[in-house]
Amino acid sequence: MVLKLVAAVLAVTALAGGDLFAQAQAGIRGRLDIRRLARPVERRPDVAAPGAAAPRDLPNMRRGVVYLETAPRAAFDERDPGRAVMDQRNETFVPHVLAVMVGTVVDFPNSDLTYHNVFSLSRAKRFDLGRYAAGRSKSVRMDRPGVVRVFCDIHSHMSAFVLVFNHPFFDVTDNEGRFELPALPAGTYSIVGWYEGEPRVTRSVVVPQSGWAEVDLVVQ
Amino acid sequence: MRGCAGAWALVIALLCAREAAGQVLPEQPISIFGGHVVFGAEVTATFAPEDPGFFNYTSYEFSALRNVRLGVSTEIRANDRIQILGEVRLDQGRVLEAYGLFVRVRPWPSRRFAIQAGRVPPTFGAMTRTSYGTNNLLIGQPLAYQYLTSIRPDALPATPDDLLRMRGRGWLSNFPRGNNAPAPGLPLVNTSEWDTGVQAHGVTGMVEWIGAVTTGSLSDPRFRDNNSGRQLSGRVAVRPAAAIAIGVSAARGAWLNQPLEDDVAGESADRAQQVAFGADAEYSAGPFLVRGEVIRSAWQLPMFGDLQLQEPLVAIASLLEGRYKIAPGLYVAMRGDRLDFSSIRGSRGLTEWEAQTWRFETGVGYSITRNVIVKASWQKNGRDGGRIRKDALYAGQVLYWF
Repeated sequence: MVLKLVAAVLAVTALAGGDLFAQAQAGIRGRLDIRRLARPVERRPDVAAPGAAAPRDLPNMRRGVVYLETAPRAAFDERDPGRAVMDQRNETFVPHVLAVMVGTVVDFPNSDLTYHNVFSLSRAKRFDLGRYAAGRSKSVRMDRPGVVRVFCDIHSHMSAFVLVFNHPFFDVTDNEGRFELPALPAGTYSIVGWYEGEPRVTRSVVVPQSGWAEVDLVVQ
Repeated sequence: MRGCAGAWALVIALLCAREAAGQVLPEQPISIFGGHVVFGAEVTATFAPEDPGFFNYTSYEFSALRNVRLGVSTEIRANDRIQILGEVRLDQGRVLEAYGLFVRVRPWPSRRFAIQAGRVPPTFGAMTRTSYGTNNLLIGQPLAYQYLTSIRPDALPATPDDLLRMRGRGWLSNFPRGNNAPAPGLPLVNTSEWDTGVQAHGVTGMVEWIGAVTTGSLSDPRFRDNNSGRQLSGRVAVRPAAAIAIGVSAARGAWLNQPLEDDVAGESADRAQQVAFGADAEYSAGPFLVRGEVIRSAWQLPMFGDLQLQEPLVAIASLLEGRYKIAPGLYVAMRGDRLDFSSIRGSRGLTEWEAQTWRFETGVGYSITRNVIVKASWQKNGRDGGRIRKDALYAGQVLYWF
């Protein structure tokens, strides 16, 4: 009798989208296969420079983002979006791709000895942090979902992406393209694999009551 | 007129098709052969009414405010040690020139030291290497780098009065000795053309230095030598903090055509020299950027007949410019600059050999996208000589780069 009651309570909670058991066990994982890696932005040929520029790091171009196109209702519950960091090191934004929730404050520390000037003219967030020197940091609150392209006004080869979501079901892939979207209620979801530029792939995935739904995505 | 039509066509194309432009036009340098060859480009369409006082005319005999310029720059990276760089510019759809073309050798790739040979970028000054597209806060160019004085490398006055008669007419001056045909005079520092020679550059800590030996002079950079003189130029800049840069420059080079000089002054071994010194400073923080520069240039003239000028002709240029970003992609800027000249004795007493000239320019810039920028500016010009002594001009510019 007790077991039947517990089972009934769990079933009702699952329908409401708040099944703790299911969240702990179910989700989507897999691999985003990027067939054609983008090349880091080259420095503009600075013919007017009297000498060669200082060496710089190259950004990691192997990472994409996988996210749910439509999220379960519980995903929109109020929660603390927290902070994230996009560093500026050796004339490179690190990480090159950052994914955050709406409301997240992104810090842009300058770890170089030269000036940087972070700015974006994207519709999702338009900002200009001005010039600031080494050891200093400025912040931006990402208050709308969308893709925010970030640049440096002084170094035209510096660029990065901040993807802003209004739910927590997203993941930046590792260098091998692996991703995990854990804690999903059972159901059918549309997931998207994103890579910089236009490449984007969408796939429908059924998440079971427990366990992982495995899916591999390919972006051309 | 053709330049204006082209400018308007570009404005319409860019403003009406922002999205299309974003999709179709490159937004970063084009790289081929695994990054060994990289192309960049800049298209600038500048439009303004006629400049009746010729305040904005350049050595190419057109106004800097009425021009459509396409510049394509290329870097060929043979390896870490050797690169070939070049830039081709097409001005007004007709003046095509290899603006710069040189080889860069880095003997120690891990160190910031390079030797460049060919048609090399300017050594002197802080803003001489500015492209006057993306890096120009406004639309007009600083007077020191663009305004044409009356003196010419291929013609000489026979008397001080010949020189004084040309005050304020540098856009088209003529003198009795040498080439009698009217032609543009020389600016203090010509950034419309680059000099040819060898240049060395290094950075050590907060100090950056450049030295060069070239064929021309600051006023008259040359691809082919027109005299046997060589210009020596150098610059040292110090950046004690990221916010501040301070630099000093110097240059000395023969500026007159050798046949003309030989003709008027005999077979003298000493060529008439242009000697220039400059000091500059820049401060920037947050949304502010402020720059200032002072240049003193002295042109020595050969002495012959009634032209017995003991002292060289001196010009002093001073400028101050600033920018303030008022919103993402939107800024306001202004610049004030002036030219002052030394005096010579003519038949009517002591007079400045050129007309004192000044300019105030203010404007706004707005980035439609990161690499499409529109600017609008208003400038007021004045000088104490010439037929037209004052004018005020509005100008617009659309700029695209990758």
